[in-house]
Amino acid sequence: MPIGRFSVTSFLRYISTIMSKPIVEVSHLYKSFGTFRAVEDVSFAVRPSTCAAFLGPNGAGKTTTMKTLYGRAVPDVHDETRMRVFDFDPRSDELSVKAKSGVVPQEDNLDVELNVEQNLRNYATFYGLPHEFIERQIDYLLDFMELGAKRRARTRELSGGMQRRLIIARALLNDPELLILDEPTTGLDPQVRQVIWEKLRNLKHRGVTILLTTHYMDEAFQLADNVVIMDRAKTVLEGPPRQLLAENIEQHVLELMNARAAPAAERGAGDHAYWRKDQLGERIIYYANDPQVLRNMTSGIHAHDYLLRPVNLEDLFIKATGRSLNELQ
Amino acid sequence: MSSSSISAEQVHPATRSINHNPPNFIHRIYSVWLRHVRVYTRNLFSNALPPFLEPLIFLVGIGFGLGAYVTEMNGLPFIQYLASGLLVTAAMFTAAFECSFGTFIRLEFDKVYQGMLGSPLSANDLIIGEMLWAATKGFTFTLSVSIIIAIFGVLPFERLVLVPFVGFATGLMFACLSLLITSFVKTINHFNFYFSGFISPMFFFSGVFFPIENLPAAARPITEIIPLTHAVRLARALTFAQWETVHLWDIVYVVLFTAIFGTVALFRLRTRLID
Repeated sequence: MPIGRFSVTSFLRYISTIMSKPIVEVSHLYKSFGTFRAVEDVSFAVRPSTCAAFLGPNGAGKTTTMKTLYGRAVPDVHDETRMRVFDFDPRSDELSVKAKSGVVPQEDNLDVELNVEQNLRNYATFYGLPHEFIERQIDYLLDFMELGAKRRARTRELSGGMQRRLIIARALLNDPELLILDEPTTGLDPQVRQVIWEKLRNLKHRGVTILLTTHYMDEAFQLADNVVIMDRAKTVLEGPPRQLLAENIEQHVLELMNARAAPAAERGAGDHAYWRKDQLGERIIYYANDPQVLRNMTSGIHAHDYLLRPVNLEDLFIKATGRSLNELQ
Repeated sequence: MSSSSISAEQVHPATRSINHNPPNFIHRIYSVWLRHVRVYTRNLFSNALPPFLEPLIFLVGIGFGLGAYVTEMNGLPFIQYLASGLLVTAAMFTAAFECSFGTFIRLEFDKVYQGMLGSPLSANDLIIGEMLWAATKGFTFTLSVSIIIAIFGVLPFERLVLVPFVGFATGLMFACLSLLITSFVKTINHFNFYFSGFISPMFFFSGVFFPIENLPAAARPITEIIPLTHAVRLARALTFAQWETVHLWDIVYVVLFTAIFGTVALFRLRTRLID
């Protein structure tokens, strides 16, 4: 009875998630590089077996925040700062954190001189795990990440998607309880991204806690139980994706491809209807909570020139972080 | 997709019982060292042939060529004098290359260290492992030169048995120095200054080819400052079992040089690995 078992497990997981204390807890984190403030007073907590996604434009401080969790970046000394990952403070005991975690950094940094299998075996040595466990784990992970056929392939010959999967496999060698991924699918094609999302969802269902950064809204929406939107070193919004959408932005969107249609649309809405307008070049976007208002707006517009859709994280993201590019983008 | 993920769940080796503590310091250094050994031995032929060839070229070209005219140097047959010096220059070159170009490529191009820092290793572990690896290469390169020298009958092998340990110390010294240089380097071409301006001149003015006593008096203090002089003197003392008080100074020099340059290099490179 696999179905019955699954619902029981998921129920138990739900209960334990609510009851248990967070695996990662950070409050009042600060980090600067010279005079540049990379992270300013960021706080968050991640509960076991959940996925938290950090969203933000380049330079928002997402990667730096991740790096402080495993000792790749040293936070500024600040009286208020509290950091805990498992039962360790990464500022003083990064090795204990890393022994129980898996890290997928932003850059592809496989050992290009070694083949797929050797990359895993070599990396496993760093954990000091028993030989039989390592061999079993390598077989399992190559299968899990669908890299079995590439076992003896040179790392250089792998496609971008395969390299990324191998790096994720490498981060899973120690069967971690926490997986930290920095932009895991940036630059990959849609199929590969789907496969990676599926694997990450699978890991989450097995109880792995996942922390990831991304600038793909769909990635955050697909995977995350909790989203932290960062901009200019600060947390702008935080919460479950659906709740964020419900509480912070109008629920429906009308996109006009051509700005010339705008006057007709606004006349169509009538005098007392509420809507909000945003413009990006030729593209005009109307937001409203009442879909009927937006439908009325389309009455005088050709069907090719508009798109009616529910609001998504990208709209919220743009509303929260502002449209203009920052100096690091 | 979902059926494959369920089957994956079933074959997953039931764990969570495994030890999740970080390995101890010795294991961590060993695992970094082992990474270098594994990568190096992947291309053993192309990596390990040059250390045999280079001293061979010098022995034949200079030893036998020039040796026909210069028969004696400081009371030793010239070919033996030269051979005992060449024992440690190979260690110098290999460690200097490994910890300059090699380290820089791992750091800036392949990002190997950044990958390793995702595992329970600290930046210090990486750098110390790197130093010991370069020292190990110094040991094996000196060993291969002694084998060549013994095969050519220049010196009996039993006299050379302990010299690879001087090769180890030489490798360590030049690893520390080169890592310090690397910590300042922004583009890989800057190493050309280090090799043309420092390593190559040192090769000729450290008593490998002729006694430093023959240099002008003004140049003598410089030869005492540069590290290779001390390595060459120690290798020669060990080979011919002729120890003098000056060798005590050489040992002190090697220890101090390694400690000081090693510590500064460690401190500076760490800031390049950790934000």
